[in-house]
Amino acid sequence: MEGRPLDDLALVERARTGDVNAYEALVQQYQQLAYRVAYQVTRDAADAEDAAQEAFVNAYYALGRFRAGAPFKPWLCRIVANEARNRRMAAHRRTALAERAHQAQASGEAAPSPEAAAEAGEFRAALVETLGRLREDDRLILSYRLFFDFSEADMAEALKVPKGTVKSRLSRALSRLRAALPADFQLPSGGAQWLSLGA
Amino acid sequence: MAEPRRLTDVELEGALRDLGPRYPYPPTPNLAAAVRRRIVARPVMPVRRLALWRDPRRLALAAAAVLVLAGAAALINPTTRNAIAHFFHVPGVIVSRVSPLPSLSPVTPLDLGRRTTMADAQSTVSFPIAVPSSLGTPDAVYVDSGLPGGEVALAYMPRPGIPLVKQTGLGVLITEFRGDLIPGFLTKEVGPSTTLEETSVNGNPGWWIAGAPHVVVTRIGEMDYPVSLRMAANTLIWEHGGVTYRIESGLSKADAFRIAAGLP
Repeated sequence: MEGRPLDDLALVERARTGDVNAYEALVQQYQQLAYRVAYQVTRDAADAEDAAQEAFVNAYYALGRFRAGAPFKPWLCRIVANEARNRRMAAHRRTALAERAHQAQASGEAAPSPEAAAEAGEFRAALVETLGRLREDDRLILSYRLFFDFSEADMAEALKVPKGTVKSRLSRALSRLRAALPADFQLPSGGAQWLSLGA
Repeated sequence: MAEPRRLTDVELEGALRDLGPRYPYPPTPNLAAAVRRRIVARPVMPVRRLALWRDPRRLALAAAAVLVLAGAAALINPTTRNAIAHFFHVPGVIVSRVSPLPSLSPVTPLDLGRRTTMADAQSTVSFPIAVPSSLGTPDAVYVDSGLPGGEVALAYMPRPGIPLVKQTGLGVLITEFRGDLIPGFLTKEVGPSTTLEETSVNGNPGWWIAGAPHVVVTRIGEMDYPVSLRMAANTLIWEHGGVTYRIESGLSKADAFRIAAGLP
C-alpha cells in the first residue's frame, strides 16, 4: 500500500530528524513496491528481499541528500533498482529454477475451470516467461509504467533519465518485448474484451 | 500459411496492465522490523557537498574558516584533525568521520563493473592503467565505463603473504579512476574505531584508513543517493596526475606502501 505524496513529505521530514517510527511507516507503505521492483531486476526472491532491505537502510542514511519536497517513491525505487542490480550481478544463476517454480504455482492458481481462463493463464505465463528474458532495464521500465502505474515524471526520476526520453524508451522496450514473444503468440479468445484495453 | 498477426502496442500494453496485478511475485516479506533494527535513531542532516565543490568562492571561504577553526581546535585536542578530515581531500575522495557508522552487511556485492581483459579495460578508460610490479598480472580485471573517464579494478586472489579480505572476498583490490573529473565520487565514512591518517604516497597527498572496517559510498555527479555503499578493509588512497588510486587489502601499512611503490 503506497502513501499519498503529502503523507510521504511529512514522514520524510520527520525521518530526517531521526524519527525512526516515521521511517518505519514509510517502509511499511513502500515495502511491497520496493520488493516487487527488486524482484523485477533480480528474478530471485532472496536477492530481492536482501536488495529491498539494503535499499531501505541506504535510503535512510541518504535522506540528508534527498531533495526536500521531491517525491519519495521514485527516489526510493532508484535506490532499490540499483541495489538489486548489484545483487543480480553478484548472484549465481539460481533464478531459472525459482522462476519456473513460481510460474508453475501461478498457472496452478490461475485456472479455475472455464477454457477461456485456462487460455488466459497460458497467455499470461508466456508473457511472464518472455519478460524474464528481456533486458533488465526494459523489464523495469515496462513494470514502472504498466505494472506499478508510475507517471512519466516518476519514471524519469526513478530511471534518472530526462522526462522527454521516457516515452521513446518505453516504446523501444515494448518493441523488444514483441520481438521476443513466440511467433504464434496471440491474444486469448475474446481478446480485446478479455483485456481491459484502453483503460 | 498466413503469418500470425503481431500484437499492436495498445494490445501489448493492455496485456501487461492485465498481467500486473496477477504477476507471480513471491509474497512480500515484512522488511520494516529488519530495517528498523539496522538503522540508528539520529538526525540526518542535509548534505550540500557538491554545491560547495562547484562554487570556488564558497569553497575558499569554507576552507579558510575550517583552517582557522582547525588551528584553534588542534591546540585543544590532538585528535581534532580527524573530526574535520573531510575537508582535506584527495581528488575524487571525501573522508568523513561519522558516529555511529551505518549498520551494513559486512559483505555486499562489489559492483566493480564488467569483467574484461586488460586490453579492453585500457581502451575503455581515459588514463593509462597502472599495474603494481610487486603483484604482477591481476587475477581479474573489471572496467566500469559508466563514470567520467571510466574506472578500472584489478583483483588479486589471496596468496601466501596476502590474506583474504572478508569484505571483498579478495586478497588485494586496486581501483583507479579520474578523481579530477568526479570530485565527490568516493566518500569514506569512518567510525570512531578506524584509524585515519593523512599521508604521502610517492610524493602525492593520500590517506591511510585502517583498523575497523569503514563504509565506502560511491556517487556520480548530481545523483542524490549513494550509488553503492559497502564495508571496506584497510585502504591506501592517493592521487597522481588526475588519477585516484586505491589499494584495499588486509595488509599492514608498510605492505600497502610496498605495493603503492610500483604505481604512480
